[in-house]
Amino acid sequence: MGFEFSVIFESLPPLLEGAKLTWIITLAGISGGMAIGILAGLGRIAGTAYLGDEPHGTSKQICFLTRYFSAGFVESIRGTPIIVQAMFLYFAFPMLIRSLPNVDQFRMEAMTAAVITIMVNAGAYIAEIVRGSVISVHKGLVEAGLSLGISRYQLIRYVIGPIALRRMIPPLGNQFIISLKDTSLFIVIGVGELTRQGQEIMASNFRALEIWLTVAIMYLIMTTVLATTLRHFERKMKIF
Amino acid sequence: MANIIEMKNVCKSYGDTEVLHNIDFSVAEGEVVVIIGPSGSGKSTLIRCINCLEMISSGELIVDTIRIPAERKRVRQIRLEVGMVFQQFNLFPHMSALENVAFGPRKARSMKAGEAEDIAGELLAKVGLDEFKEKLPGELSGGQQQRVAIARALAVNPKVMLFDEPTSALDPEMIGEVLDVMKSIAKDSGMTMVVVTHEMGFASQVGDRLIFMDEGIIVEEGEPSIVMKNPKSERLKDFLGHVKHH
Ligand SMILES: Nc1ncnc2c1ncn2[C@@H]1O[C@H](COP(=O)(O)OP(=O)(O)O)[C@@H](O)[C@H]1O
Ligand SMILES: [Mg+2]
Repeated sequence: MGFEFSVIFESLPPLLEGAKLTWIITLAGISGGMAIGILAGLGRIAGTAYLGDEPHGTSKQICFLTRYFSAGFVESIRGTPIIVQAMFLYFAFPMLIRSLPNVDQFRMEAMTAAVITIMVNAGAYIAEIVRGSVISVHKGLVEAGLSLGISRYQLIRYVIGPIALRRMIPPLGNQFIISLKDTSLFIVIGVGELTRQGQEIMASNFRALEIWLTVAIMYLIMTTVLATTLRHFERKMKIF
Repeated sequence: MANIIEMKNVCKSYGDTEVLHNIDFSVAEGEVVVIIGPSGSGKSTLIRCINCLEMISSGELIVDTIRIPAERKRVRQIRLEVGMVFQQFNLFPHMSALENVAFGPRKARSMKAGEAEDIAGELLAKVGLDEFKEKLPGELSGGQQQRVAIARALAVNPKVMLFDEPTSALDPEMIGEVLDVMKSIAKDSGMTMVVVTHEMGFASQVGDRLIFMDEGIIVEEGEPSIVMKNPKSERLKDFLGHVKHH
């Protein structure tokens, strides 16, 4: 059985369909992951000197709880396999909801479960990236900002944020690529993403070599696009 | 003249270690106070308490009629009235010299961008850095960075300026240019200044009062040249002996 280019051409339309889903899950997932990551990452250091003046009174207690919950979230996501998270969300979570009183109809689309899983999973890792870069901002710069009399929001928005962001880009690129590849795990909940499309075509024509080679190249193209975009951002930011 | 800064029986502890002990200290409007003392004696802690970068542990601090701890919510108001210059300059590395200086008026004083940049441009010219407006801090020498940092603190239009060893991180040939800027601020604008430094020449020329700290207390104070010529305590005699050799 030699290498047949025609097999690739025939399977291209369904593979591209799969690649499109992979791309959608990734983009939606990492966008949500960024939002979750920024919140949980800042949450883990809420009320510490890394983010300006340490609070007093009730806000001190609120910050303590925020740190506690953010850390709990990050650790429980990092400590469990993403495939278990996807299974839980797709199979177990709807059962849990249906067992509530007055709820007997609840379904979760596989696509929804996939996007949420990537959001939450990437969010936990991005939280660590955010926390690490914010902590790495020199304490003196935070104090210089404070001593000018700006608000905490302004301090984070104009001083800590831009400096931390520049340092976040390389590890974020890493995480985005990992998240993109993680979408292949959603084969287990029946999402028609790229890996599953490859698997189905393979099952009908047994052309493993052509199919998996094409699938691999398609992943490589997508990860390259992600990496190049981030490198572009990195270059656009001032070097300091 | 009225006191713009007053510390009454102030203590400051880190954890269980008290580093400032029952400090009574005040600064009159327009006065230039120079603080000297060995490393670890609490000089930085004392001036960092004034703009609440460190919160006092007990006692009372009054800055421009704002009372700490009673009016803790008004810390930002204090910081608008009190500028600070650090040993390590601490310029924002992602902003040009002009942006660094315009940042305070723009954000802390809510000025329009154009107005803030006009002020920043004037101040940079005043500290002799007219041609360096567009440079990033990383492209400037230590002395130039410190002059930008002084302009940045002045731009918010404070009533008091705090300096924490502003020339200690500088190469010897750059110390003069920074001291000259500080002298002109004291002389021309009559700015109230609290300066931690070991530049004894600056202390005697510009200082109205010299304070010697050791182990968290104010050991001696008075007219700078008198304190330097006639140190009363052994500790100050010792200390002056060390400083003169450098
Ligand atoms: N953030 C801090 N945590 C704990 N101890 C500190 C802290 N900052 C200063 N200290 C201690 O307080 C004392 C006074 O320090 P500092 O005010 O920096 O002295 P100086 O500026 O005169 O060298 C020192 O013993 C120092 O170790
Ligand atoms: Mg010090």
